[in-house]
Amino acid sequence: MSKRDESVSPNRSPSAAAPAEGPSEIARRRFLATVLRLSGGAIVLLAGVPGAGGATGEAPARASGEGYDWSEHRYAYLIDTQRCIGCGSCVRACAAENGVPDGFFRTWVERYVVGLEDSHVDSPNGGKDGFPPIQASFVATKHFFVPKMCNHCRETPCIQVCPVGASYRTKDGVVMVDGERCIGCAYCVQACPYGSRFINPVTHTAEKCTWCYHRITKGLRPACVEVCPTGTRMFGDMKREDDPVRQAIEHDRVAILQGHLLTEPQCFYLNLDREVR
Amino acid sequence: MEHARHVFRALLLLAAVMAAISLGRGFLVPRSFGLHGPYRFDNVAEQMAVRPPRHGGAASCTPCHAANAGKRLAGAHRTVSCEICHAPLALHVADGRRSAAMPIDASFTLCARCHRKILGRPERFPQVVLEQHLREQGAQGPIQGRVCLDCHDPHSPKL
Amino acid sequence: MPEITGFAFPNDTHIHWSLMIVMYPYVTGFVAGSFIVTSLYHLFGRQELKPVARLAMAASFAFLLVASLPLQLHLGHPERGWFVMVTPHFTSAMAGFGILYSGYLAVLILEVWFVWRAAIIERARRSRGALRALYKALALWTYDTSGEALAVDHRAIGILAGVGLPMACMLHGYVGFIFGAIKANPWWSTPLMPVIFLLSAAVSGIALLMVLYQARSALLRRPADPPCISALARQLWFFLILTLTLELLEIVMMAYERSEEWLIVSDLLSTRLQFSYLTMQLIVGGLIPLILLAVVVLLDRYLHARVRNVLTTSAALLCLLQVFSMRWNIVIGGQLMSKSLRGLRSPYEPELYGREGILAAIALFLVPFVILWLFDRLLGIDEPPGDRAASAGA
Repeated sequence: MSKRDESVSPNRSPSAAAPAEGPSEIARRRFLATVLRLSGGAIVLLAGVPGAGGATGEAPARASGEGYDWSEHRYAYLIDTQRCIGCGSCVRACAAENGVPDGFFRTWVERYVVGLEDSHVDSPNGGKDGFPPIQASFVATKHFFVPKMCNHCRETPCIQVCPVGASYRTKDGVVMVDGERCIGCAYCVQACPYGSRFINPVTHTAEKCTWCYHRITKGLRPACVEVCPTGTRMFGDMKREDDPVRQAIEHDRVAILQGHLLTEPQCFYLNLDREVR
Repeated sequence: MEHARHVFRALLLLAAVMAAISLGRGFLVPRSFGLHGPYRFDNVAEQMAVRPPRHGGAASCTPCHAANAGKRLAGAHRTVSCEICHAPLALHVADGRRSAAMPIDASFTLCARCHRKILGRPERFPQVVLEQHLREQGAQGPIQGRVCLDCHDPHSPKL
Repeated sequence: MPEITGFAFPNDTHIHWSLMIVMYPYVTGFVAGSFIVTSLYHLFGRQELKPVARLAMAASFAFLLVASLPLQLHLGHPERGWFVMVTPHFTSAMAGFGILYSGYLAVLILEVWFVWRAAIIERARRSRGALRALYKALALWTYDTSGEALAVDHRAIGILAGVGLPMACMLHGYVGFIFGAIKANPWWSTPLMPVIFLLSAAVSGIALLMVLYQARSALLRRPADPPCISALARQLWFFLILTLTLELLEIVMMAYERSEEWLIVSDLLSTRLQFSYLTMQLIVGGLIPLILLAVVVLLDRYLHARVRNVLTTSAALLCLLQVFSMRWNIVIGGQLMSKSLRGLRSPYEPELYGREGILAAIALFLVPFVILWLFDRLLGIDEPPGDRAASAGA
């Protein structure tokens, strides 16, 4: 077979002529094939292992050494828009507690001025400095404030679209961003229907309300709930039967934002108006 | 397939590159990744310890400021947290002792943020048009500085 | 600070997906579109496209090499870009980028290698020194150019074109999915999005090839092959009709159904996107090339070659503008609208300098042409004249 190579294409370069294929050639071929098959198997095995030599994987978040067990909690948030006075203390407290940069908001307050023919919504600087007096250009029949933040949804569009697994949901129901994994692609910012996320201009990673995870895991309340003077904001644990937030969600008429998107938000609203999106 | 030798060589090269990538990947995935889901589990503990809490809550003020705290609890501002007007605890307390002067915001703008009459607040909430309120109380002078505190005690403001 | 008309959520006032994210689907559109042209020859045997087949493959390759740059330039942490390869989160379409890109890159490199193998070996023989070593390495130190080997190459090219075509389509289609699957943004959210992206990619690829072929023919002082130009014009017209139909269909449906997003979207189109959408995407880039190409296709046999060349090149240039406007209108337009559906922000003005700026985008667009020129110098885009008769269609 090999002799024919040289005769078939005499005009081609003689350097292309292959050597005679003897027994050593065939043995080499067999050896190569075996090596390939074995290493192929090894590659498949190794490629599947997530983190070689990692932790056991069953311990809850006990790394802080404080004995906090995340499987004992399932947090929820309740907002009674009828009580909010638009003082903006929550926005300021959040910024102070979490070092939120100016012009970006982990929580904010919106004002709605509604009449039969028209409606007007504003949120000057997120409500951080309170709200100025305004005149409506129409007859305003009702007006109210609506505080908002990340809804910590159960079926988040934001976690779904994170390409590197930087965004995640803890077992106690809090959605957070791993600032060391986030590549700053901003896909999650685009995917959040509520506008809760932003890209921090200093760290260039995605950021949002964490329900003050560093506080609630120590038995404290989020900073916004802590300072609210009218009891508009309430934080609760659905795993406790006597929790007032759980009682309200179970028995009162509650609403969620953009329910048609089926994101299953865990921020519930009392006395929400149809104008609010 | 003698004439396909170049094909095998190319495929071998491709396989080698893919093997290198797959193997390399195994070493680069963080250790705690995937333990409870497609994320780096170590971050949960990191978030718990991201910073010491800055707000103490109104109850944390009583040990040092018992008098004013008690006055507040008995008055109309009983639900108004101290930290709204006096900034978060951590700004003047460190390790359980005083580390700086406690901020005191006595300006009328602070009071106005809650009590200036604007569209949006519930009707029954105490709110006033500032200029009108001052004239009705017979107060002179422009609206500036600590004018609200001329009459109202911030810890028990109802007259 | 951007100006807002109406009400926007406080975090919703920033444009995060900048000019670079407009460039990315533009570039991958060229990759996919050029590959469609070369596959029409290598896979579907359209002989009239033979003059541009190799040019199309080289163009697809050149643009593929820069395709990941716009993404890297845009990331908040470009140094972490490789995380997508290490811990891809596959519920996210964006995580597919690592596999789709490297998979298609492998297929295209292989196909380029098979097509140009004979030329590489020929150049290995003719050169000396370092260049000879380079060519020998590129040939993977095999020098078989016999008829059987070339027949093997021919089969491999066919297989790779068959595998590569859906991969090229997916490499661009997934970008459409990225936008189409975002339920939070009603301007983006539609099942039509991947299809529209892919069809307009075909438009951009064919238009690019048209312009490249004409330019190259002018530079090499030889006439462009008229049947090839006619075939390209026919394909371009066909894909342009499909693209415009689907783009218009989306708007018409939205207007007819009059759901909650229609008021803000119609506001967006008539105010912020008036020039880029109505003028550029629909009229200058849509209607006019549609008419020009209709003339070329329907009156083909009455046309003098020069007239055909002028008409098709003009139409192609306008189509290139149309596809860019379409990407701009989708990427930027979707972010000018707040998720509150009550507000629009002032138009996005990209910076001139900076890694996401206009100069960077222009450089990104020009680099593939430089790569093409280097490709021509190193490997030669056209077949070497001596082999043309003997080669088995490679």
